[in-house]
Amino acid sequence: MKAGQQEARHTPESRQDAPGQDGQDKIVYGRNGVPIHIRGGSRTTGGGYRTYEVHQRMRVGESTAKVKPNAMLTREYLEDPYPTLAILRENYPCYRDWIGNSYWISRYDDVTSIFTDDANFETRPKLWFYGREDFGRDFGQALPVLFAHAQRTDAHAQPVAEAILSELAGLGRADLAVTFAARYAMEMLARVLDLPAADFDFFVERYWKMQQGYGWSPKAEQAGLDAMSELARYFEPLMEQRRANPGDDLISAVAGLETETGPTTAEDLVTTLLERDHETLHGALANMWYLLLTHPEQLELLREDERLVKYAYQETVRHSTPVLEAKRFARQEVERFGRLLPEGALLICSAGAANRDPRVFQDPDRFEVNRKDLCRREPRGQYRADGLPTGITFGLGQPTKHPAVPEDRPRSLYAITRDTVVTASKCVLEILPGLRLADGAKPGLRALRVGDMHTCWQLPATWEA
Amino acid sequence: MTTSIDFTRNFARAIDLDSHLEEDPGALREFPLMPYGEACDMGHAADGTPLIDPRLFDSPEFFRNPYPYYRIMRDHYPVYHDKLHNCYYVTRYDDITDCYFDDEGFNTIPKGSSSGVLGNTQLELSGIEHRRRRNLYGQHLVGQSLQARIPAIERLAREMIESWDEKAREGVDYIHDHDGVRTVEIGKAFANEFPISVVCDILGFPKEARDRFFYWYNSMMSGLGGSATQKQGLEARQDLEDYLEDIVEQRRKEPTYLYGDNGEIVSKDIISKLCESKIDGDYLSTEEITSNIALIVGGGGETTRGAILNMLFLLLTHPEQFAAVKADPSLWDTAFHETLRHSTPIGGQPRHNTYDVELHDVTIPAGSLVNMVDFSANHDERIFEEPEKFDIFRKDLYSGKLLRSGYRKEGKCSHMAFGVGPHLCPGAWISHQEATIGARILCDHMKNPRINVERMPKDIDGVSLRPMGLVSVGTLWIDFDLEDSRA
Repeated sequence: MKAGQQEARHTPESRQDAPGQDGQDKIVYGRNGVPIHIRGGSRTTGGGYRTYEVHQRMRVGESTAKVKPNAMLTREYLEDPYPTLAILRENYPCYRDWIGNSYWISRYDDVTSIFTDDANFETRPKLWFYGREDFGRDFGQALPVLFAHAQRTDAHAQPVAEAILSELAGLGRADLAVTFAARYAMEMLARVLDLPAADFDFFVERYWKMQQGYGWSPKAEQAGLDAMSELARYFEPLMEQRRANPGDDLISAVAGLETETGPTTAEDLVTTLLERDHETLHGALANMWYLLLTHPEQLELLREDERLVKYAYQETVRHSTPVLEAKRFARQEVERFGRLLPEGALLICSAGAANRDPRVFQDPDRFEVNRKDLCRREPRGQYRADGLPTGITFGLGQPTKHPAVPEDRPRSLYAITRDTVVTASKCVLEILPGLRLADGAKPGLRALRVGDMHTCWQLPATWEA
Repeated sequence: MTTSIDFTRNFARAIDLDSHLEEDPGALREFPLMPYGEACDMGHAADGTPLIDPRLFDSPEFFRNPYPYYRIMRDHYPVYHDKLHNCYYVTRYDDITDCYFDDEGFNTIPKGSSSGVLGNTQLELSGIEHRRRRNLYGQHLVGQSLQARIPAIERLAREMIESWDEKAREGVDYIHDHDGVRTVEIGKAFANEFPISVVCDILGFPKEARDRFFYWYNSMMSGLGGSATQKQGLEARQDLEDYLEDIVEQRRKEPTYLYGDNGEIVSKDIISKLCESKIDGDYLSTEEITSNIALIVGGGGETTRGAILNMLFLLLTHPEQFAAVKADPSLWDTAFHETLRHSTPIGGQPRHNTYDVELHDVTIPAGSLVNMVDFSANHDERIFEEPEKFDIFRKDLYSGKLLRSGYRKEGKCSHMAFGVGPHLCPGAWISHQEATIGARILCDHMKNPRINVERMPKDIDGVSLRPMGLVSVGTLWIDFDLEDSRA
């Protein structure tokens, strides 16, 4: 038998009328008169032609008997994905998931290589998953928007944390997961947008429905689309007001943008909010306090040295990242990891697996705030700095491409989120003395549904009131 | 600022936190088993459109009772984007035929579930590469070559049925005689092995190898689609190919022949012919031959077995139509085609689109997996009146010779069980002959056959027979009167 893999060879464009050559859309009609609209400039390189030698098939040795085909859809996986991910990482670095029609990438170097390779792989926006790419435009990378986000976040991180925590302090006990972490993330977002306090509940509900709707569930999708239109209707008058009287908030920043097609719309603002990461602030804060409360000896270290709070955050997103995976699609047929990945292939880059790769981190399942083999700087353009790897947090997107942060740009989202979590956590240490897990509590991490964020939803804690 | 109590309550309600935490996502995958022909409620959009929850496609309910769900998809989601399984479903007859004919726009480059086990085959080629090889394999399964094999097919069927007496005496678990009635499980006694025997005969394999073929074939089939038995399937295919490799090497040196009933040479067998076939001036490689033989073995068994069992099941549950077929054997052809329309053994084919296309307002990005659901096309009420009804006399089904170039003739449409267009099943003709000859000889042999309801698997009500759903009839217990059967 010959080797399964051989190099791809493509025959040149052969159909005279092949669509997309001139970049024009065109409509072809099938034998039954069904119109098939072919988008210009989108022809795949693989096409319908391929020489016979180009093939791949699974060999006996490649079979994946150690993982059940639906292992990633089970309740066990939603609660603790790490044993399954370890099997994938050690046995099937590029696991072909037939049921999910995807490939699972699980080693640190492989995941980072896919995630930094924009020539061959793409991340699709959440609107694509909604099937509504025409809904609005994402201005999350526009400089005024970035600045507004950075400035308002920095200004409010501490006051908001103090306000929530002093309300809790007198109670002596509370569930930190929702009452603190989830609430803090939402309050911060409301401050960044400078929303009227009366609209907070309305906004939180719509925002969460919107963020939960782009997964696989049609019910959630329906709720999400409804929430998006409601938000757009709600933002419309607010944007008009702020266009007239701009503030330093994110709504004013989006409203003030000039585009080729005129002023920005409320749909653009909703899209900008949708595409923004919301899970890392909430998830990392909840996971960090879950880990600290279940590892009291590590919490003691933090109490002794506050500088360790930042490292605790970095170790948290390595050990228990809230965003377990990111989806990347192959732009063209490409060979990776001994496989021919076809064009359009879905690669599930598992941060959860990569962050516990023993090739990169020593004793990776151990939560250790003072970890020596984790990079403590913000990585730039890559996932390693000073010869050390960072934990992968996909929610924050890729590391910034700039070798140094220029003066005319705000800090990266990575740094802003990290600083916010650190600020809030320092407030927790200060305002809730003697904080510990409530007696008898057995908290755990859990993704609510397949593909959702993996975080702590119930974290009962007590302190000296 | 809201209070912590307010926030916690509102937030939990907004994201439905409590029910998420309580609910077992594994249990959610179980959809309620509905009365046959009715869809369970998966929620509705604001405008009342029923929703399709993609977990449905893994559920036992869907395997048992798929047609009402396909109907929802045809009516409301002609192109359904399944984001859980990362694929699209095309469900209307007209759309599917269009896509099948557009061999270049919707290609078959391997990404689908069959490629893992069946290997590198004709299934996975498109365009010119496909056309120039197709005839090499296909020509041995049609026309003259096939006509010459019909006596052999009939002989094989008779041999198998005649062995029942001996097996009943020896005692096997699928034949029981009592009070002048013989109860036979047609699957084990006939339909499972008959198609494999025919394939082995045509390929010119020794009789001794048939048991091994049967095992390989079963393992390969059960390993399709990344199931838990995939490893066994891969091993079986490797064994099969190792075995074939030796045979191919031998036949390169020394061709073997097929013989007629009187010992006359009919022709060279397929492998020997393939050994001397050339593409672009080169002989076919051994791997290419073994892969495609593996495909013939895989494609020629399960499908024909399902067709025979489904046809007998449907005819015996529609006695007036069975009587008509018995009275007029020429109706076996229409019965065969109506069976494949009503309950086809193969549910559909995967395709991968070469361009970004927009179909029924859904944009499918280039390179996506697009499932063409033949099941649904065959039950498209836009084409077939009362599609859920089994009726061999239906006026809207074309039952003549299937051609690659067409599916709509004399104002009728063909069923989609063999696909259409360039990838039309090359085994369609031989499968047709196997099923009709096999079923006819069986029914000539069995006097007054009827389904043994007691032994058959039941539906959820515990009374009616289990519907076929997405899988073909697995076991078929038939009673027939022994006395007159050999008269």
